[in-house]
Amino acid sequence: MEDQILALTAEVAAIKSAAQVTNTMFAEMYYYVTIPLMVLIHAGFLLYEMGATRLQNVLSSGVKNLLAFAFTIAAWYLFGWWFYWALPTWPLDFSAGAGYMEISGLEYANAIAWAWGDSAQYMGPNMGDNASGVFWGAFALFAATTASIASGALIERIQTVGFVICAVVLGTAAWGIAAAWGWHADGWLVTKFGYHDFGAAGLVHAVAGFFALGVLINLGPRVGKFNADGSANHLAGHNMPLTVTGLMLIIVGFFGFLMACIILPGEGWSWYADKGTTIYGTPMTLSALAFNVPLAAAGGIIGAWVMTRDPFWMMSGCLAGIISVASGLDVYFGSTVIAVSMLAGIILKPCADWLEGLGIDDAVGCVTVHGTIGLFGLVMLGILGSGLPGLGAFAPEDTVALSLFGQIVGAVVMFLLGFVPGYVVSWLVDKAGMLRIPDAVQERGLDAVKVPAQAYPQGMASPESES
Amino acid sequence: MGYFAESFTELYNADGWMDMGMYIGAGSSGAGWWTVIAAVMLVGVLVKGNSDEQDHYK
Repeated sequence: MEDQILALTAEVAAIKSAAQVTNTMFAEMYYYVTIPLMVLIHAGFLLYEMGATRLQNVLSSGVKNLLAFAFTIAAWYLFGWWFYWALPTWPLDFSAGAGYMEISGLEYANAIAWAWGDSAQYMGPNMGDNASGVFWGAFALFAATTASIASGALIERIQTVGFVICAVVLGTAAWGIAAAWGWHADGWLVTKFGYHDFGAAGLVHAVAGFFALGVLINLGPRVGKFNADGSANHLAGHNMPLTVTGLMLIIVGFFGFLMACIILPGEGWSWYADKGTTIYGTPMTLSALAFNVPLAAAGGIIGAWVMTRDPFWMMSGCLAGIISVASGLDVYFGSTVIAVSMLAGIILKPCADWLEGLGIDDAVGCVTVHGTIGLFGLVMLGILGSGLPGLGAFAPEDTVALSLFGQIVGAVVMFLLGFVPGYVVSWLVDKAGMLRIPDAVQERGLDAVKVPAQAYPQGMASPESES
Repeated sequence: MGYFAESFTELYNADGWMDMGMYIGAGSSGAGWWTVIAAVMLVGVLVKGNSDEQDHYK
């Protein structure tokens, strides 16, 4: 009898071990798959941006977009990852000590997030660590997405290296700090204000949108955008189908982006053994995304259609619809999503026109789609979701619940985290003579001047590209 | 019409999460009202869209 019990115990232990291996491998694969899905966002941005560019500048826009992707990922490896882990409690705790969950602070970040010394073991292949690499990869793509969002607004007149400097600051420092404060269980916006931003409407979209606004103020408009009396001209991109298809690819990538926002169960780093959660430890399932993301996309398209009838703005409305509910995709009911996202699609174009009326040449509506609608989404969740517990069941007792006040504080912080670095870094780059392409070169066409290739060598030739 | 639980502790026990809808308005008439609002908005958009489209054909 005793032997049988021992054998049974050993068998149960073997089954549990096998189940844990399966869980670990599933978790590793889950986050790994989000990475190529998020690369689709960049494929989309590449098409979107090049399509929105006039013929004489197409490849130049492509080069700029690709470099934002490449440099941001490299910089995220070198120091962006460290920002995220080091600064959740800073500056409330000026020494950047560890938070309640003890997965933050200078000491913790120094131990896991530098690519040298003892922490290097977590920044490369490691047979004892299935998690760090896939998490780093997903976050690196979040960083690259943040930088690419701003890229489109600046096309056809920003210098390449000057832009790369701006993109690195946005993708690492601005987004890294925003995520540390508002997308981390120890983040002070979360623990002190109940800030809730599941799908990064503020952390990614508002930060990127208002960073772009800061750069646009220093960069100025494209040659020919505004007339002497202040009225604006529409500088149509060379390929609307490319732009619209790119926008749809971005939506595909969003599914990877958003699924990466879920914390799977059953691992040492999980909140719970048996259910998935948000990054705040609050309960959610993939079904929440399966309901709400398509509904938000639909609502945004419909709202923008009734205002514009323009496929460019309809697909921008699709993005805006998702961004408008991104903060609360985990807690919104489907019908609520339809109503809120449709409203976002309706207000989108008037907001973009208002910005243009101020003399800002945002070539693709980036500031409005990502910035304005991102803040709109944060505040809407404050209005509709007030009372939502700030963190999961293992949180400290003094954790603050979601409130309209907390969401407004978060919205202001996200605006400043985008706009201030965007304005300051672009001002410095401008003073170094590395920001704006001279007007004479803009008039000639950027591809002819600095890209050793032709976009359409056997067709769609323009006088500028042939010169 | 906010969230229905002040803490997730009450919704989580040894068996895991309570099996229930965990969305804003759960357990109230809120969900139904949002459905009415969304439906009215969709119909309104279609009416407006059709009105504008018919103007193009005149």
